[in-house]
Amino acid sequence: MTWYLLRRVGQAVAVVIGVMILTFILLHMEPGSVARAVLGLRATPARVAIFDDTYGLNKPLYQQFVIYVKQLLHGNLGVSYQLQQPVSTLIAERLPRDALLLGLSTLLALIIGVPAGIYQAVHHNQLVDDVVAGTWFTLYSAPDFMEALLLIALLCVQFHVFQPNFPGGITSVGGVLTDWRALVLPVVVLSINSVASFSQYARSTAIQELAADYVRVARAKGVPPRQVLTRHVLRNSLLPVITILGMSLPSIVAGAVIAEAVFNFPGMGQLFWQSALSHDFPVLLGATLIIGVATVTGNLLADIAYGVLDPRIRHGS
Amino acid sequence: MRTPRRLAALAATLALATLVAACGGSSVKVGSGTTVKGQKVNGGTVTIAEVGASPNFIFPYPPATNENGYNVNLTMGLWPSLVYVGDGGKSAVNPQASLYSSLKYSDNDTVVTIVLKPWKWSDGVPITSRDFTFTYNLLKANYANWIDYTQGLFPTDVKNVSTPNAHTVVLDLTRSYNPSFYTDDVLAEIPLMPQHAWDKTSATGKVGNYDQTTAGAKAVYAFLQKQGGDMATFDTNPLWKVVDGPWKLGTFNSSGYYSWVPNKNYSGPDKPILDKVVWTPFTTDTAEMDTLRSGTTLDLAGLPSNDVRQISALEAEGYSVAVEPTPGVAEIVPNLYNSAVGPLLQQLYVRQALEYLINRPQIVSKVYAGYADPGNGPVPVLASGSYVSPLEKAGGPYPYSPSKAISLLKAHGWKVAPNGVSTCERAGTGPSDCGAGIKANEPLQLTLLFTSGMASFDQQEAAIQSTEAAAGIKIVLKSEPFNTLISTAGVCSKQSHPASTCGWQLLDYGYEPYSLDPSGASMFNTGGYNNQGGYSSTEENNLINQTEYGPSSSAFYTYEDYTAKQLPWLWLPQPSNLFVYKKNLAGVTPLNPFSGTLNPEVWYYTKPSS
Repeated sequence: MTWYLLRRVGQAVAVVIGVMILTFILLHMEPGSVARAVLGLRATPARVAIFDDTYGLNKPLYQQFVIYVKQLLHGNLGVSYQLQQPVSTLIAERLPRDALLLGLSTLLALIIGVPAGIYQAVHHNQLVDDVVAGTWFTLYSAPDFMEALLLIALLCVQFHVFQPNFPGGITSVGGVLTDWRALVLPVVVLSINSVASFSQYARSTAIQELAADYVRVARAKGVPPRQVLTRHVLRNSLLPVITILGMSLPSIVAGAVIAEAVFNFPGMGQLFWQSALSHDFPVLLGATLIIGVATVTGNLLADIAYGVLDPRIRHGS
Repeated sequence: MRTPRRLAALAATLALATLVAACGGSSVKVGSGTTVKGQKVNGGTVTIAEVGASPNFIFPYPPATNENGYNVNLTMGLWPSLVYVGDGGKSAVNPQASLYSSLKYSDNDTVVTIVLKPWKWSDGVPITSRDFTFTYNLLKANYANWIDYTQGLFPTDVKNVSTPNAHTVVLDLTRSYNPSFYTDDVLAEIPLMPQHAWDKTSATGKVGNYDQTTAGAKAVYAFLQKQGGDMATFDTNPLWKVVDGPWKLGTFNSSGYYSWVPNKNYSGPDKPILDKVVWTPFTTDTAEMDTLRSGTTLDLAGLPSNDVRQISALEAEGYSVAVEPTPGVAEIVPNLYNSAVGPLLQQLYVRQALEYLINRPQIVSKVYAGYADPGNGPVPVLASGSYVSPLEKAGGPYPYSPSKAISLLKAHGWKVAPNGVSTCERAGTGPSDCGAGIKANEPLQLTLLFTSGMASFDQQEAAIQSTEAAAGIKIVLKSEPFNTLISTAGVCSKQSHPASTCGWQLLDYGYEPYSLDPSGASMFNTGGYNNQGGYSSTEENNLINQTEYGPSSSAFYTYEDYTAKQLPWLWLPQPSNLFVYKKNLAGVTPLNPFSGTLNPEVWYYTKPSS
């Protein structure tokens, strides 16, 4: 197991370095002047020159890359061209909030999706299975922003049940939790798509498990149906869900652009989007690096979770 | 049919507001001439929405690398400029709110004598000429790293600064300046800095006279700029507690949320009535609009031009609408040195035909629901007050006229094919030929590159494409995100027009903002850094110089009319800024087009008169 983990970590580091190099090259191949993108049309040539000099953009690309790597090795992700703040500060401000928002929505999706999937499996090919599956697919196929706007129109504008947006000025996770009512709609909207996929994965695996020999044996031995489901079927049905969960970690880092835009939630998604529009390379590089790390970490965690849930998997062998 | 109804609804609302103001309760005069009815309530908090706003610099002289327009919103109420621009809704200098009591030009307009009012900083220390010299010394040593420095202007245009007494400053300039230009565009960019509090090189160091040497001035400026970018300490740093504007910073956090509280020692005419003004950031227009529609926490918010149709719904939620003309010029820039269509666009008659075919009144009414400047020339009719020439007021030299456009093209050898593509029939350089560089059978087809992401922009460009077709001018539309567009479309000229950055033909990226004096320098003069299309004319250069350096106050109209006719750019309507505000909030209108932050010092809540 240890050797396996070391090997996987080594692979992860190689992947992250590859992503970093590729991103750096691709970003700097983008046409146009960064200084003009940031400083705008009224930037004088003198200001453009100062900008390029300040951020080393007048140096050859390989030198810029060496400087960037040196900064990274010192834990410095650089300074945002646009926001003029350290990238690490910008990410550190937003990441915990996104983690909370997407963590809660994922948890809600799991709580609803997995039991629903197993329920569908138990009743598969019955009317209730079709109704539930149809509901999930309908919600899944509807765009996030449309669901968000519909909920706002109904629950905020029409009936004033919830507030439509996150109050400005909240920067900490504690502040977000204090205003928990503002979290309800974004969490619900973000969980809708995940519920559909979790439930369908859980359903199809559970159908296979319910037909497996060990389930039949358990039933033949007189194990109560509820116990068969909770002790045997549920555990094995979680394996594909674990894979999805592992892969969803980068989306937590990448943020939820739509939800952030509609619900006034200043997170990583908005930061990434605005930076992409304004050629803010340090932020893009920093965010891509963090997403790369999150991706390989997520996959690694999923692999480890397999071993915990399924003893047949022997990582070390 | 919908637009007129909306306009009627707005007009009815404004009329009703006027009627109510005329009939009820006691009246109160606020700001510069606005009279509002209802019982005045002292105190209260106003919450203002700002979309995409995240100020990141508080020192009022940001570095050259910083381009965050919201910083002005943060600092303008704390450290207003020496010359305060915008007098209520008028596009004029506001002498009452300005720091000077007199401003005189002498010696052939090479000497400016400024007498400061006996006002005080928020800590009770008088504002003196020493504060001016401190400001000047810092800028003189650091002008290259000041965002607003323009080559040849303040502080490098000053030979000497003398201070005969504590309240008088004499600027000895390197050349004559047009007094209007120098007052409205140069001195209006200069807030004073408190020497007694800021002349230091470290947080723990003592205040001295460091600014009096170049090295010292550099050290002080570097210290202040470093402190000015430390967002975590904006609301706690003692430096920023010393202000001379009506407001002080209350709270600030890095998300862009901040508040102003009254400066109790403000010496100016309009002392704040409210207890607090809060700026709250929004990620997008959509988020802001949802909050407005839910009728919750916002007292004032900008209304994006895409959401003009929401006005009646917002009025039902208890909001009024305020219109602020935008001081700027909206345009399509023709690339006169594009390798494919440069020869076409160099022909004045082609540019005239293009302009005649832009149905600007229709764009104003249909795309912007009436909330836009007509775009009759280089100076905005609604926002530039006395700078607007009679020609522009009368509709400009090229009102919409497809027949004139067609006549022009035919007179210059074109076979006009309405709704098709016109072609050059008579190639050549004679007066009735197509013109130099234009080949026989060359089609009159141009690509218009514009900013994507705004429905109103899409509609405007589609309208232009449609009306240009009436004379067989085929416009191909291509859109790109704003930042991509401005980073890839370079400044092109006769001398330099590389294919990599000068491949664009017609360019519409939005508008160019103006100071109070809507100078054409940098945009229309030969080699101007913002003269993207490469327009060059000796006459134009001379006229621009007259507006900046000549003594005549009529020089501006001459420049303006010449530019309007020559069409270095094609003129377009410029949408106004729209705001909605709670109906019980008084003093919001008329909006000052130049204040940037609005003027909450004259706002107050009202309650119905008993």
